[in-house]
Amino acid sequence: MARADDKRINEVPHGDRLNLSFEGDDVPACAGESVAVALFASGERVLSRSIKYHRPRGFFCLAGHCGACLMRIDGKPNVRACKTPVKEGMRVERQNAFPTGAFDVLGAADFFFPKGMDHHTMMTSPRALNAVLNKVVRQLGGLGKLPDVPASPAELPRPRHKHVDVVVVGGGPAGLGCATETARGGKKTLLVDEQDRVGGSLLAHPQHGVRAANEALAAALKAGVEVLSSSTVLAWYPEDAAVDGGEPGLLAVHTPEGLLKVTASRYVYATGSYDQNAVFVDNDRPGVLPARAVGRLLVRFGVKPAERPVVVGDGPYARALADALARAGAEVTRIDGRDEQIVAAHGHGWVRSVETTRRKKLKCDLVAVAALPAPASELPRQHGVAVAFNDGKGGFHCRVDDDGRANAPHVFACGDVTGFGGIDDAVSAGARCGRAVVASFSANGMGAGARA
Amino acid sequence: MKRGSGEDIQPTQGPPKAKCEIAIIGGGVMGLGIAYQLAKRGIKDVVVLERGYLAQGASGRNGGGVRMQWSTEQNVRLMQQSIELCKSFAQEIGVNVWFRQGGYLFLAKLERERAIMERNVELQNRCGVPTRMMTPEEAGALVPELDIKKIVCACYNPKDGVLFPWPFLWGYAHQALKRGVEVHLFTNVDAITRDGGGFKLTTSKGEVRAKRVINAAGAWSPEVARMLGVELPNKPHRHEILSTEPLKPFLTPMVSVLSSGLYFSQSMRGEIVTGITVEDHAQGIQMGSRLKFLTTLAREMVSLVPRFADLKVLRQWAGPYDVSPDGHPILGEPPGVPGFYLACGFVGHGFMMAPIIAQLYAEWLAGGHKHEVFDRCRLQRFAEGKIEKESMILG
Amino acid sequence: MSNKAIICRCEDVTLSDVQHTISLGYKSIEEVKRYTGLGTGPCEGKECMVHCARMVALANGGDESVVLPFTSRPPVQPVPLAIFARGEEE
Repeated sequence: MARADDKRINEVPHGDRLNLSFEGDDVPACAGESVAVALFASGERVLSRSIKYHRPRGFFCLAGHCGACLMRIDGKPNVRACKTPVKEGMRVERQNAFPTGAFDVLGAADFFFPKGMDHHTMMTSPRALNAVLNKVVRQLGGLGKLPDVPASPAELPRPRHKHVDVVVVGGGPAGLGCATETARGGKKTLLVDEQDRVGGSLLAHPQHGVRAANEALAAALKAGVEVLSSSTVLAWYPEDAAVDGGEPGLLAVHTPEGLLKVTASRYVYATGSYDQNAVFVDNDRPGVLPARAVGRLLVRFGVKPAERPVVVGDGPYARALADALARAGAEVTRIDGRDEQIVAAHGHGWVRSVETTRRKKLKCDLVAVAALPAPASELPRQHGVAVAFNDGKGGFHCRVDDDGRANAPHVFACGDVTGFGGIDDAVSAGARCGRAVVASFSANGMGAGARA
Repeated sequence: MKRGSGEDIQPTQGPPKAKCEIAIIGGGVMGLGIAYQLAKRGIKDVVVLERGYLAQGASGRNGGGVRMQWSTEQNVRLMQQSIELCKSFAQEIGVNVWFRQGGYLFLAKLERERAIMERNVELQNRCGVPTRMMTPEEAGALVPELDIKKIVCACYNPKDGVLFPWPFLWGYAHQALKRGVEVHLFTNVDAITRDGGGFKLTTSKGEVRAKRVINAAGAWSPEVARMLGVELPNKPHRHEILSTEPLKPFLTPMVSVLSSGLYFSQSMRGEIVTGITVEDHAQGIQMGSRLKFLTTLAREMVSLVPRFADLKVLRQWAGPYDVSPDGHPILGEPPGVPGFYLACGFVGHGFMMAPIIAQLYAEWLAGGHKHEVFDRCRLQRFAEGKIEKESMILG
Repeated sequence: MSNKAIICRCEDVTLSDVQHTISLGYKSIEEVKRYTGLGTGPCEGKECMVHCARMVALANGGDESVVLPFTSRPPVQPVPLAIFARGEEE
């Protein structure tokens, strides 16, 4: 059943085999994989075409944050393939390509406009030409097509509400550490994580991995934390009350069972960071990936990412990943990203070489870019937390004190969202923050459960 | 704005000039449109003062709908002209605005709305607008995704349409700048006083003396008018709006439901852009959007268009309707303050009216014909009790 | 041959698009977002806003303190309308 180009590492246990239906063909997958991982592991490369130039795209972050892996899955458009667990017979199709995703005549736009096109000013005159342009642009616009089947009203999920002492957003090392502390401190704690497996950046790190994630999760559960996985916190809504006549302010959470409105006495944002790319010509080629996505493939899914990877960056994670790839049998080339940088990627459906400031043509079959991840500060910003832009911290980081207290009342933040620091920093920051959260209840002089 | 063509023109840097003929407060579509039309007529000694970045106000937040279907003859006739101007905007201004005349389809869910609809259609027909009544089946043929069991009747004008609002601002600004108009961004007007026969404006970037001032500040126009002691009756109402993931083109018209104020259309990029009327007790100018808006809209939308249940929301935001008591704008000079011109109170149709109003205003200010709209929409009408309400307000 | 360094993957906004916008005098993230569409796609800026921020900081003489993010709008991830369509019953 496995294909000759199957990348799954034999020594690592995989879930039961099943088949996806990829544009009419059977593609092997293992239970527990996401569609993006399964397709990659079975040798598929181009997952979509970009919106304007129809450039070939593969997955990128593998964590549901970027927009690279949108596909039509079971008749629904624009579904993230990296956030969709595989199921037997699942129908997977590429979007936005004519006639097929593999060969797209509209990709000619990329060739005819090498420097880009300014859609604001092109072809505004004469009127007849402009009318044609308008018609063409509309037809080319959009990604997926309207979903096949309407949802039936009886199947619509009912919204629910939950009130707790502490809600921790994010189940990575910082969030797990914080939630464990607050639960041990006697506070009713809810932890919400958007991935189907809790652990965050632990699951991408060769020196931590699935075992470390399981241990951290077990500690949290043992302390009494209620954990919701596959649940995405969508927004902080300051004006809406969870119950009629209640105090305004709630977190809206998208769970597999529908909308959950969460209110708490304390809110902790441990949302981590988003993987970033480097900027060079054709940096969006399939196969140019953030280092942590490569780590996810290897560490969480037991898939060998490449035979000849290039790892860019010289921080501790880049080194750990390069070592792990070598141990998996790959021929690794390291580029430090400072003295030598990538200038361009080459290849069409997948990267096949890169040009650097030192080397004209470095052959490779994958590029792992260890760029500083960007703090995921959207939710805390919505909640009124002050942020500042700092390149050295990865982007817009939450401004908090040493214990994670933010300027907004009853709000804390810890881990990479306060500035990228990596796993060890996140673990200690999380614990410190958790203790500060517990202490903040006594400082108020209010009993548990009261909303100050 | 064509790259490398030598035509790149920046918003005016540095402080505004010390003296000018006309100062325009508000760099939205109305203020910039008037500035452009004035410059076209040779009046270039104009300074536009915008407190934020281009498209920060309602001009950058609306759904881009443009229609001739109104319940008052004044609005119908004005919009007929405005839509003609939209059709040639790209050629005249040199910027694509993606104007698409897919029509507006109004739906009535209640039997009592039929008579109102028929009356409005008849008025529009008398003005030469080709709106026609439709049965639910005909509406369903135009938009197959509709659950037509929920509809009693409909009306449709194929010449109404949607456009993308932001390029209007760059286009008008660029063309005005090219002709010598000053356009200042991030420049707040802190105070206005009368100064001889003209005005002195104190801004965050320095003082400007102007012979005439135009108040095109939208929802902020009462704040501006108050600086000269003029009390305006228009109030800001928040209107929330959301856009979905981009889909391949399938939806021809803008669709709107009379009873709920729901409207939805598909943009050039393929997103469904949609809004609905929601009870709102918040005071002042609010730009945030609520969960209550999302639930109200989702409920109505999924009931009317079941296939949209799986459409994914990408983002929700809000913009201020500058609401006048009768749904018509407030134009012309208020009593006692000659030289101070009002261009506000456009409710939810400011953007679509800007092309024609800008042209009419510039014509008048340049010494030409004063269109009757400036008299009909005078501020005094509220005190005089001479008003005719516009009822076809959406969102 | 393509010559594009992609800043915003979702909307195909290139490095030169952003540089051009900044050269027109639009030196803030909000303005670049509006002029180019950067950050308005499915990822809502997660992959591109920081690149834009760096370029904006550079355009403002390296001053990071003037670089403000664009307003974060709900929802932070795309979510189907169906989730919100049913009322809450006790």
